Amino acid sequence: MSLTPRRREHVTVTRRDFLRWSALASGGLTAPWAVRAAGAQTAPKRGGTLRVGFYIEAATMDPHLSGSKIDRQIYHNIYEPLLTLDTNLGIKPGLAESWQLVDAKTLVFKLRRGVRFHDGTDFNAEAAKFNFNRMKTEPKSVRKGETASIDTVDVVDAYTIRMNLKRPDAALPATLTDRAGMMVSPKAIGERGAELERNATGAGTGPFQFVEWVKDDHLLIKRNDNYWNKQGGPYLDQIRYRPIPDDTVKLQSLQAGEIHVMDYVQPRDVAAVKADKNVVVLDVPSLADFAYQLNHTRPPFDVKALRQAVALSLDLEQIVKGVWLNVGVPANGPIPPTSWAYDRSISFIKRDLARVKAKLAEGGKPGGFTFTMTTNNIPINVQEAEVIQAQLAEAGITMKIKLVDSATLLSDGNSKSFEMISYQWSGRPDPDGNTYQFFRTTPGTSLNWSGISNKEIDAILDKSREASTQAERKRLFSQLTRLLQEELPMVFIVHPIEPKAFSPRVQNYDPVPDGMMRFKDVWLK
Amino acid sequence: MGRLVLRRLLATIPVLLLVSGGVFLLIHLTPGDPIDAMMAESVDATVKENLRRELGLDRPLYLQYVSWMGRVLQGDLGRSIRNREPVIENVGRRIRPSLQLAALAMTISLLIAVPVGVLSAARRNGPVDRAGTTFALFGICMPNFLLALLLIFLFGVTLRWLPISGYVDPLEEPWDGLRALVLPAVTLGLALAAVVTRTLRASMLEALAEDYVRTARAKGLSEGAVIRSHVLKNALIPVVTVLGLQLGTLIGGAVITEYVFALPGVGRLVVDAVFARDYPLVQGVVLLIAVGFILSNLAVDLLYGWIDPRIRPR
Repeated sequence: MSLTPRRREHVTVTRRDFLRWSALASGGLTAPWAVRAAGAQTAPKRGGTLRVGFYIEAATMDPHLSGSKIDRQIYHNIYEPLLTLDTNLGIKPGLAESWQLVDAKTLVFKLRRGVRFHDGTDFNAEAAKFNFNRMKTEPKSVRKGETASIDTVDVVDAYTIRMNLKRPDAALPATLTDRAGMMVSPKAIGERGAELERNATGAGTGPFQFVEWVKDDHLLIKRNDNYWNKQGGPYLDQIRYRPIPDDTVKLQSLQAGEIHVMDYVQPRDVAAVKADKNVVVLDVPSLADFAYQLNHTRPPFDVKALRQAVALSLDLEQIVKGVWLNVGVPANGPIPPTSWAYDRSISFIKRDLARVKAKLAEGGKPGGFTFTMTTNNIPINVQEAEVIQAQLAEAGITMKIKLVDSATLLSDGNSKSFEMISYQWSGRPDPDGNTYQFFRTTPGTSLNWSGISNKEIDAILDKSREASTQAERKRLFSQLTRLLQEELPMVFIVHPIEPKAFSPRVQNYDPVPDGMMRFKDVWLK
Repeated sequence: MGRLVLRRLLATIPVLLLVSGGVFLLIHLTPGDPIDAMMAESVDATVKENLRRELGLDRPLYLQYVSWMGRVLQGDLGRSIRNREPVIENVGRRIRPSLQLAALAMTISLLIAVPVGVLSAARRNGPVDRAGTTFALFGICMPNFLLALLLIFLFGVTLRWLPISGYVDPLEEPWDGLRALVLPAVTLGLALAAVVTRTLRASMLEALAEDYVRTARAKGLSEGAVIRSHVLKNALIPVVTVLGLQLGTLIGGAVITEYVFALPGVGRLVVDAVFARDYPLVQGVVLLIAVGFILSNLAVDLLYGWIDPRIRPR
């Protein structure tokens, strides 16, 4: 695979991380590992409060109304989805103990028996049906898009549901591993209504249950002693989440022992943190792809040759090394190396100034051209923009940089008022989530900011939803990646790694590339 | 006195109208949209449209302003778009840490500035004055965030005497609460002390050159008594002005300090609200901050009269 060698000064960690990444990408690794494998032999200890620092606090405790990524970090400890992800992004049973695709448009789930919500009520087929109906019909539901392919849900018996789909949707099982598959107690919803957004007492089935949320201060959850899964944890008495917006201060809080876990280490801090004996860093490869969308609907990027000239001018290895400090890998397309659909035989687009010259001539701009890039006004984006600007200048292309805040970026993108615009997608476990909504012809507002409309790409995307085997889908996504490198609705830059940092006391953390921190089996030394 | 207060309060009405209209226009004309910002990763256009309609964001701007103003006049500042809670509740939660921080920072600044300023002026061009002036220059030049990080590094990480970040209410847990507020209050207090020191020194020097000071000295009063009962009180007017203006800034504008120390204050609330284009929250908070500014300036005006009977209203 096209991995850039990591820096040499942290040989032990680096090599292990490298092996982990390789193993993940090749699908060879299934066993959980401890944080830096330290103390893996000692028996887990019960008790203690794990203190976790996040950059921002949660927005709501209701998974069906949640639009913020940070909410999911907490949900994955108090709520459970029907299906879950393993460390290799494979799908495994969650609240459903098995599932079966009866035909292209019918999915049957056998639900786990003996599961109770924290409020004591039973989780069963009626509860599951209630949840899907709520996601599809509640006016404020943000889950309508994810559940759009579900037509109806039937209760077959007390512990079996049948999902009737409007159209084949091979990505649906992966979608059900997150908020769209999370089951909330119908009793809690009925009794608490809108109050559920602030108070999730009794609402989940997970290894931890909601205790309190003091807004702007902390959110506390405690061990669920009646958790259905008796294997392993939960071991921790409590988990206390705190918002610490400043990255440097969050890191200092970890170094001083005020918190045990931080969600993300900035690339600029990774080397320093790895050198600190009081902190353990785990490189968690992500599902993300960071790219730039090129506007196909207006000059200059309505001309394919000019899009190609830009892509061929960029030296991705230099960007990943210089800007991302190797906390990531150059991207060959939208699908990250963590995915089963990643095709390592396809290289990222390599810099080739001779071809740039030819492409500029072909595009009718032999003397180069000028365009504007819109990007977020945050340090790493600005640095990346400046490196890209310099690389393009060497190829005879002049790029102006327009710095905006994220709300403006979204509005410029949605209204297609840009020439080239930064797009940082956090990624989805199924490759469909990194592709379909960006590249399928969609009139009106969508994530297809580039405005690409290509019959061949549309056909591949549709087929990938209907294909029944993973091998067939993988073949289709390889085909798609090659086509995207040719058509260039986006210039793909990097698949970032999302390093997380821990106190050495934290044991047995099992990272899943979706970046969500599940603490069921974690314990404190 | 009562009439003065009433007159001043009436004069605030056009100010508040101007502020509310200005903020409303500015935030609505800023590119970006609260629904897009809230649901950045959602593609469902109908959900977004429904939300927009529900919040009335699809109506013409002037209608939105009129209906917002109508509700404000009835004491309803609306609900935050992001967390769907009443604006007043959001502010209520945030105002306490801000007020406590402002009070502590102001106390620290006065504890430093008054002795340093007085000594600097009394021993003009002496070593104390030079040290004081240097300190003031340092305090003014030092950026808040840098000072904050240095303090955190020294007292939080290296010595581990004080917590690095977070907030505990000193009214509930006095010891832990004060410990949590010390570093941010020192960060703000040092910069403020620098400004106050310079102002106090300058106005003291001016007062020291007045004829009545020479008279007081000629009467045989000790230098300490001259400064205490004649110079200091007369030198206080500019200082009180500075403090009054700074109080408003401390409550609504201590954004960086609140951010670095993870303090849930009003400054951070308004900045986060702007980034999220949370219109009702931005409008409500700015309006309340404006009210705060007006009240603190009114208090300053009343203090003038107490300090200097000559400017007392008749």
